[in-house]
Amino acid sequence: MTGRLDMSLANDIQEVARVIDSLEEFGAENGIPPGQSLRFGLALDELITNIISYGLAGRSDGIISLAIEHRDGALRAQLDDNGPPFDPLAADPTPPAGDIETRAVGGLGLTLVKSFMDRLDYRRADGLNRVTMEMKVKAA
Amino acid sequence: MTSLNHETVNGTLVLKPSRRIDSSTAKAFEDDAAALLDKGPKKVVIDATDLDYISSAGLRVILTTAKKAKAAGGGLTIACAKNNVKEVLAVSGFDNIFGLHDSVAQAISALA
Repeated sequence: MTGRLDMSLANDIQEVARVIDSLEEFGAENGIPPGQSLRFGLALDELITNIISYGLAGRSDGIISLAIEHRDGALRAQLDDNGPPFDPLAADPTPPAGDIETRAVGGLGLTLVKSFMDRLDYRRADGLNRVTMEMKVKAA
Repeated sequence: MTSLNHETVNGTLVLKPSRRIDSSTAKAFEDDAAALLDKGPKKVVIDATDLDYISSAGLRVILTTAKKAKAAGGGLTIACAKNNVKEVLAVSGFDNIFGLHDSVAQAISALA
């Protein structure tokens, strides 16, 4: 079963909920187990949250576009934004260590993305950050 | 008024977030949890029975809530996490920091 979903996102953190809602619906239409849709949604959530919270923070001309595809037993996404160059693959994937008192608050999002995706690529072209990612869909 | 489901069991605050804690809902969870902790309880159990999804923004507010509980002389632990949520807790190491329990009763005992 193949399907495609294109979304244009506002530079607003509330959009994250809309993306996950849309992905759940898309997953149901495409026969993807709900847990797998949410796993993929989590990776998108983390990347989009970074874009809105940092890359495009305070910008009124922010552009974020998302294309999701289900084909050949995998979910793929392409996420573009016009923020300053940021390569999420270059960020340190090691989870911050420490106990409750000393543990840094933050830094976990990209660790989750890298852990859950089977492929993750970044390139900068035409003034846009473009992240492409792929996750093989496992049986329920 | 808080919209976060909660109850107090033998002095332990049991928080029962529903559906998702993501970057669009994390702030509300953090504020509600802080307001409830300000009323006196020092121990917190996150009852994840109704939680389908947690992102790093959710982990962050659980950590800040735990730090607040610990600073007051108590602690925080987690009960009844579903597989999706467990997976996120495991990747982040939060399962080891806070402990995962199969029931709220077990979680409350663990904090005693």
